[in-house]
Amino acid sequence: MKKKWFLLVCLVALLCAACSDGASDDKKSEYRVVYSGEIKTLNYLKTSETNEFAVAANLVDGLIEYDKYGVVQPGIAQEWSSNEDATVWTFKLRDDVKWVTHEGKEYADVVAQDFVDGLQYVLDAKNESSTVWSATVVKNGEAFYNGELTDFSKVGIKALDKKTVEYTLEAPTPYFLSMLNYVCFFPVNGKFLTETGEKFGTTRENFLYNGAYILEKFEPQNERLLVKNDTYWDKGNVLIERIRYKYNKEAATVAPELFLRGEVDTAEIPTSIIDEWFNDEKKKSQVRQTQNNFYSYFYALNFDPQFDAEYEPENWKVAVNNKDFRKSLFHALDRVSAMLTVEPYNPQDLLSNTITPKNFVDVEGVDYTQLEPLAAITSNDSFNKDLALQFKEKAMAALEGKATFPVKVVMPYNSGMPDWANRTQVIEQQLEKLLGVDYVDIIVEAGPSTGFLSEVRRPGKFALIEANWGPDYADPSTYTEPFSVDGTYNKPELAEGYKEANGKTTYLNLLDKAKATIETTQRYNLFAQAEAFLIEEAFVIPYSVGGSGYVASKLNPFEAQYSPFGVTAEKFKGQKVLDKPMSNDEFKEALAQWEQERANALTNATK
Amino acid sequence: MLIRHLLRTFTAIWREGACMLWYVGKRLVQSVMTLFIIITIVFSLLRLMPEEGYLGAAAEKMSPAQKEVYLTSLGLRDPLPVQLGNFYADLLQGDLGKSVTYRTDVPVVTIIADKIMYSLLFGLGAVALSLLIGVPLGIMMAQMKGRWLDRLGTGYIVFVVAVPAAVYYLVIQMYITDIFHLPMLFDEYRPITWLLPLTSMALAPTASYAMWMRRYMVDELNKDYIKLARAKGVKERTLMFSHVLRNAFIPMAQYLPATILFTITGSIYIESLYSIPGMGGLLVDAIQRQDNTIVQGLVLVFSSLGIMGLILGDIAMALVDPRIKLGKGESVR
Amino acid sequence: MGLYTEEIDNISDKSRAELFEFFETSDRQAEETAYSNYSYWRSTWQSFLKNRMAVLLLALVFIVVAFTIFQPYLPAQKSPTEIYLDDQTGLQARNIAPNAEFWFGTNSIGQDLWSRIWAGTRTSLMIGCVVALVEAVVGITIGTLWGFSRKLELPITQLYNVVDNIPTTIVLILMSYILRPSISTIIIAMCITGWVEMARFIRNQIVILRDREYNLASKCLGTPDYRIIMKNLLPYLISVIMLRMSLAIPFAIGAEVFLTYIGLGLPISEPSLGNLINEGRVLMMSPDLRYQLIFPSIVLSVITIAFYIIGNAFADAADPKNHV
Repeated sequence: MKKKWFLLVCLVALLCAACSDGASDDKKSEYRVVYSGEIKTLNYLKTSETNEFAVAANLVDGLIEYDKYGVVQPGIAQEWSSNEDATVWTFKLRDDVKWVTHEGKEYADVVAQDFVDGLQYVLDAKNESSTVWSATVVKNGEAFYNGELTDFSKVGIKALDKKTVEYTLEAPTPYFLSMLNYVCFFPVNGKFLTETGEKFGTTRENFLYNGAYILEKFEPQNERLLVKNDTYWDKGNVLIERIRYKYNKEAATVAPELFLRGEVDTAEIPTSIIDEWFNDEKKKSQVRQTQNNFYSYFYALNFDPQFDAEYEPENWKVAVNNKDFRKSLFHALDRVSAMLTVEPYNPQDLLSNTITPKNFVDVEGVDYTQLEPLAAITSNDSFNKDLALQFKEKAMAALEGKATFPVKVVMPYNSGMPDWANRTQVIEQQLEKLLGVDYVDIIVEAGPSTGFLSEVRRPGKFALIEANWGPDYADPSTYTEPFSVDGTYNKPELAEGYKEANGKTTYLNLLDKAKATIETTQRYNLFAQAEAFLIEEAFVIPYSVGGSGYVASKLNPFEAQYSPFGVTAEKFKGQKVLDKPMSNDEFKEALAQWEQERANALTNATK
Repeated sequence: MLIRHLLRTFTAIWREGACMLWYVGKRLVQSVMTLFIIITIVFSLLRLMPEEGYLGAAAEKMSPAQKEVYLTSLGLRDPLPVQLGNFYADLLQGDLGKSVTYRTDVPVVTIIADKIMYSLLFGLGAVALSLLIGVPLGIMMAQMKGRWLDRLGTGYIVFVVAVPAAVYYLVIQMYITDIFHLPMLFDEYRPITWLLPLTSMALAPTASYAMWMRRYMVDELNKDYIKLARAKGVKERTLMFSHVLRNAFIPMAQYLPATILFTITGSIYIESLYSIPGMGGLLVDAIQRQDNTIVQGLVLVFSSLGIMGLILGDIAMALVDPRIKLGKGESVR
Repeated sequence: MGLYTEEIDNISDKSRAELFEFFETSDRQAEETAYSNYSYWRSTWQSFLKNRMAVLLLALVFIVVAFTIFQPYLPAQKSPTEIYLDDQTGLQARNIAPNAEFWFGTNSIGQDLWSRIWAGTRTSLMIGCVVALVEAVVGITIGTLWGFSRKLELPITQLYNVVDNIPTTIVLILMSYILRPSISTIIIAMCITGWVEMARFIRNQIVILRDREYNLASKCLGTPDYRIIMKNLLPYLISVIMLRMSLAIPFAIGAEVFLTYIGLGLPISEPSLGNLINEGRVLMMSPDLRYQLIFPSIVLSVITIAFYIIGNAFADAADPKNHV
């Protein structure tokens, strides 16, 4: 009510009030940003969206964190151990972590029971948590969720005493530590949760904080203000005092201008204007690339086509089961020209020759993509005109009489994403030019912008499609999920001619063997073998990793926590606001240096 | 004599008024039925949307069994009549439900109430501004038809109509804030930031009012009775205001209640550009995020306003022009 | 006895047949004197022609429409969807400013803007015309019935309220989800929801007029309803209908721009003014790339201005008082 009168009075005074006050905020280490993706709740136990992680990660801490080289560090857990087959994990907690209210007053200590309460909330179906799929790694988690089990004490998590938590898992999970980086394993104070009930996480008052920051203001679709938490156990590492977010749906268009005028400290520079920034003397030293993220993009060839009869799905099916045909497509795709639609300056930096991105996991300092089975693939660009034409000849000879040429290739895209639309047109014309319209006829189709995946990709209404997958934990098995039997991508298990003696396909057998191995070096090598097989047989065409494009930013990305998966990458802890934005040259230097330091850190970590 | 005359006039007015009231009452009752139909249709349409939209990013990771459990707990697996029944039962108790994918667990009423104030104030300001400038502009353009003011006004109208709104809003934000060193985003504690969004919002309605006012007045000015009045020697001023304006205003009157009621919908473009936390993008956002409770709540609010706007507009028209008879149309003579 | 009684009694003595001739009458000649060659529409047209500016713009509109139809057949024209490669790098010829080869430059993936703009104008004009036509026919018919007949008032008001208040966004999302985004989807969706405004407008005008004395008089004389509508009411409204319809096409294009803004427009592989303007909008701040916004905006503005002025001129010309 008061707000209404205040606004009314101000509207009247509007005509007279022509002064603009220069009241600037205390610029001491404050970081300002505009955002267009609003979070829907603060309740970190329910959400699965990156936007919400970014806020939750700074307000609440979990058992572990990462350092800037990607090595696991203690968080709330001081030390931990696991049993031989990685099914039981025990964590000992710090004793100086406290829950505080939104006013900074202490509420309670963080104890082991808080982790039990958090997991119980997630696994209870009536709470509608969308991160439950990760929590079911715990023994009996799935059973409790779908109602088969009603006694939570049978689920594999126990608070052995005030400072010890023990997890019992469904299956051997050597990578369990990385899963703890995900919000469903975060603690919550049981008493507070029961008191606030459904209102937990709807406003900043209905929330308890044990992390680096407290929310001083939380007005959805308007702004948020985070201030440093003085009771934080690691407050010495929190270098930015205030973080101010302002909501703007047009952030993509407006942010670059705001950055130039000094009203924000970071702005994403969209591809469309990046040319102009690099050509301008003043602007070009303010913009830089970003590090790649771990989303893997690839082109999937469908073995179970379900698209309209007019596009001859049967014909496609015959063609795709011929290895030469697949390899002709594999080598014909000019990935650089496709990448230009997103990254016109350094397209090479985003391309990836394997499904698993580099810098994801390593074996004693050797990156996974450099392991022996994959090393050759990683160092060779798949695009090769001569090879493509050679395979074309072979395929046409082998399929003579069995398939009609040109083979119709249905390639849909999401009509709500203009970049993807552009890229599909580029690829269509490029492939047709190289391979000839007598060989393939690529049909570009606009799919609905709502429910694209459920309408197009999952029911298999495509021949060739660009797809992506993000990791859920730090183990190569996460990148095999799209291609396993339950995967909803291109169903490689239906490829003809790969069945082995036990009835399963070669690839699946390789996978099973790898998943059963606990010892890291052997395990990773087996997964590398499986992935090499997948790529050699051209079931998929690895394309790129995700990147956030170019930014003008006053943060140093190499000071942030680095993790291949999870929320700690969103933490502001450890970062400080620079005076000037980092330029692209500085970035490249820093990147090289960081990669070296990281290699050292990783080797040291395993000792 | 006098008393009898007064009595007759009084009963005439009374009968007229009663006729009107009866008509309005009838319309209101029909409106409730219309609202019911609208909400039911929208409710059903919403349930045709793809189910995966309710799951967001988790759609890829959840197993089909987990998805079933999730959707059941949201109540989306019940048969449609059951869902409808639950909805109406809650509605009659005044409960519009809680948001699911927009702001989880927050009552819809709270979300709408937070935003309505901003849109309302900007909207009313824009309406006031556009009426104050647009209507007189239209009148003057009609009076000075063919001369410089008419040409200038036409130029302005044409510009506003021709250039797409999305473009000139952006132009205004980028360039005017640059020239006058104003902050680009809206801040409720700094009145100077209110000026640009308000003026931007008022540009199009001003042009519209001016255009239609001019058209109606020009049509009136051509009529025979005006020629006669001029020949009789009636002053131009009296002519304009007592005769022409009154008649030209009749078709305009019907739009006013609806315009005022619709200020709360806000302008999606302006609110996006200036970071105004109003209602503008709420409907589109909620639909795209498949937050059914918010969409239903908003459709309820907007439909009621739309229907009321229509009824009020008809009443306004009938009040302004005594020749218009709503209802049975019996002559009271 | 009067003075001349004898003469009068004997008047037939003085008369002889030769003094009289039959006068030849012809019906046609009788009609001629009462005939006036006033034709309403011809007078309107002649009145319109007197307005130089409007005639010029009408010609311009015809030229633009003709050009969009014939442009692909002219020599040396490029395809609007083909991606042109830069000779040196072999990669897309992105964002090239207007030069001798690409008259309006290229967009961010190397497609020729000149042909894209004309293809887009063609698409948008077609959508606009179809939608405006349907809107006019359906809107006027329903609006007239709604305003005139008291019996039909209830059902049509219900229909109007229902169609008006169902959010267009939902209809559009569901349609593009079920039917796939394409030109016909967007035309159907816009037609379903477009007629309501026109209907309401006409209905209000008719309500204003229906109880005026001359209509009561017609009713008393027993004129059938359809004649009252066609001869009494609609001609009175021609000027406002003209103004409204002239802007229907630009508004349809504007609606298409809005739909593209919220992501429900045509797929980007089909050029249209809406797509082009939205693509260009984010480039506004870069002086090098601004041309991608300026050209489509100019085309849209020219069309809108032309239609507006033509409509206004026609509305002025349609008033019979101006025909003298």
